[in-house]
Amino acid sequence: MARDRGELNREGFARYKDDVRKEGKPFFPYGLFHDTVMSLVVVGVIVALAIIWYVDADGTEAGILGPWYAPPAEPGTTEFIPRPDWYFYFLFYLLRIFKWPESVFIATVGIPTICLILLIGLPFYDRRRERHPLRRPVAMTAALLTVVAMGVLTWKGATAREALGSELVLAVPEWAERQGFADNAEAVRGAELFAQSGCMNCHVYLGEGNANLGAPDLSAIGETNDATYFVQYLTNPAAFGNNVMGSYAYLGEENLAALGEFLASSKGPAGD
Amino acid sequence: MATSKRASVVETAVLAPLDWIDERTGAVRGTKWFLFRNVPRDISWAQTLGSATLTAFIVQAVTGVILAMYYQPSTAIDPNTGKPVAYSSIEFITNDVTLGWLVRGMHRWGASVFVILLFLHMGRVFLFGSYRYPRELTWITGVLLLVTGMLMGFTGYLLPWDQTAYWATVVGINLNGTAPFLGPWLAEFLAGGPEIVSEALPKWYALHMLLIPGALIGLIVVHIYLVTRLGVTSPPWSSEMAGRERAASEPAAARTGLVRKSGGAS
Repeated sequence: MARDRGELNREGFARYKDDVRKEGKPFFPYGLFHDTVMSLVVVGVIVALAIIWYVDADGTEAGILGPWYAPPAEPGTTEFIPRPDWYFYFLFYLLRIFKWPESVFIATVGIPTICLILLIGLPFYDRRRERHPLRRPVAMTAALLTVVAMGVLTWKGATAREALGSELVLAVPEWAERQGFADNAEAVRGAELFAQSGCMNCHVYLGEGNANLGAPDLSAIGETNDATYFVQYLTNPAAFGNNVMGSYAYLGEENLAALGEFLASSKGPAGD
Repeated sequence: MATSKRASVVETAVLAPLDWIDERTGAVRGTKWFLFRNVPRDISWAQTLGSATLTAFIVQAVTGVILAMYYQPSTAIDPNTGKPVAYSSIEFITNDVTLGWLVRGMHRWGASVFVILLFLHMGRVFLFGSYRYPRELTWITGVLLLVTGMLMGFTGYLLPWDQTAYWATVVGINLNGTAPFLGPWLAEFLAGGPEIVSEALPKWYALHMLLIPGALIGLIVVHIYLVTRLGVTSPPWSSEMAGRERAASEPAAARTGLVRKSGGAS
């Protein structure tokens, strides 16, 4: 009768300890030698990266490894492209794949949590004793797919262009014309912010933007409320029972006021 | 045999204090246990990735302590520079502190090297199937170290308080905010309010240099203890693999080696 796995495991480990004791090499100095050489290489690489980074850049001027620092943080600006450090690009890009509001949760929490559980549980569901990679085709295929997926997501995240704010902003004069707020400088500025701040990743405005995510069309939103209401709404959508949309409070009061003015002026195209 | 005068001097000066410490702590025995254990004879460069990761962490710890001596986690405007204090302190470290640029550069790029090594080390363990019995807990602490290491990168990114840092963190906090139950609460805690406000920076600083490194160091100690206790696995394709199955005719641990003569059939 076949012996159970626990028994085989314990026997295997006893054999391992026996072999290591009788045939092994002492960690000091043999193992430690390899470790020390490798550690020196690591420190060397880090120092080299630091030197290349420092020498090639100058202040906020980027070198091949980026600038020493970007300009100081400015919560009010809208044209800056938010981008995490490179090792979070895969997560960043997942978010772009699952960008419609009901599914953002899948990208930000769902997939990472599942991956983490799979990773932690690995020794418990992969219980075969075979260790040779060529005789573990499922594990190796899964690993290869994971590496390729992470690589592709990181690459896509690195090369992804942010919301096409710079293109959408070209439509602002047309909007102003059709909505009749061309003379209202504050509303025009709000419209530019609207185009650049990623609002149209979820909302439609006069036929532009993303229609398939379920967020309301804002072309005639000004019929419903006034500027003050919109400012409050943008500051904290959750207070209005909207838990899908994030807060835009970081845009700062002035920008929010402009956005509010723009939304209030959007009463639907003249003549409709 | 009478000991020479020199030997007895050495004994009192060096060995006696060590004995005194060892008697109370077991530190000398512990060090011997760590250093003078045997490892499989066929391990080589692939098994150095773990200690390489540790080295990268030590570089982060040392450079981090130096940076903490000059960095100021405040978003107030510095009257001398007209920029936020945190940003000015980063400029000061980079431009004025002797070799400050090197320390900051090493910390900045060491973070990337640390994350890469974490992944490579995990890849090696996966390839070798080393997470199997009895090393499951070593694997789990390793995964937790990977997560904690990534959190270090995430919390450290905001500290320079420049545009890159700020906007990356806005995105990151919004990601947190989408989680159910704790998500919005966590996002609000991390941001200091509905938006990232000035109180947020010291919070991130405390997380980055106290809480998360504390957890990281604790996990590293457990991880290394387990590695030492359970041993390192041989490459699975090695013909000298420690713990290999043997034909009935072949006596256990029979080969003689260059490194250490073994018992058995010889």
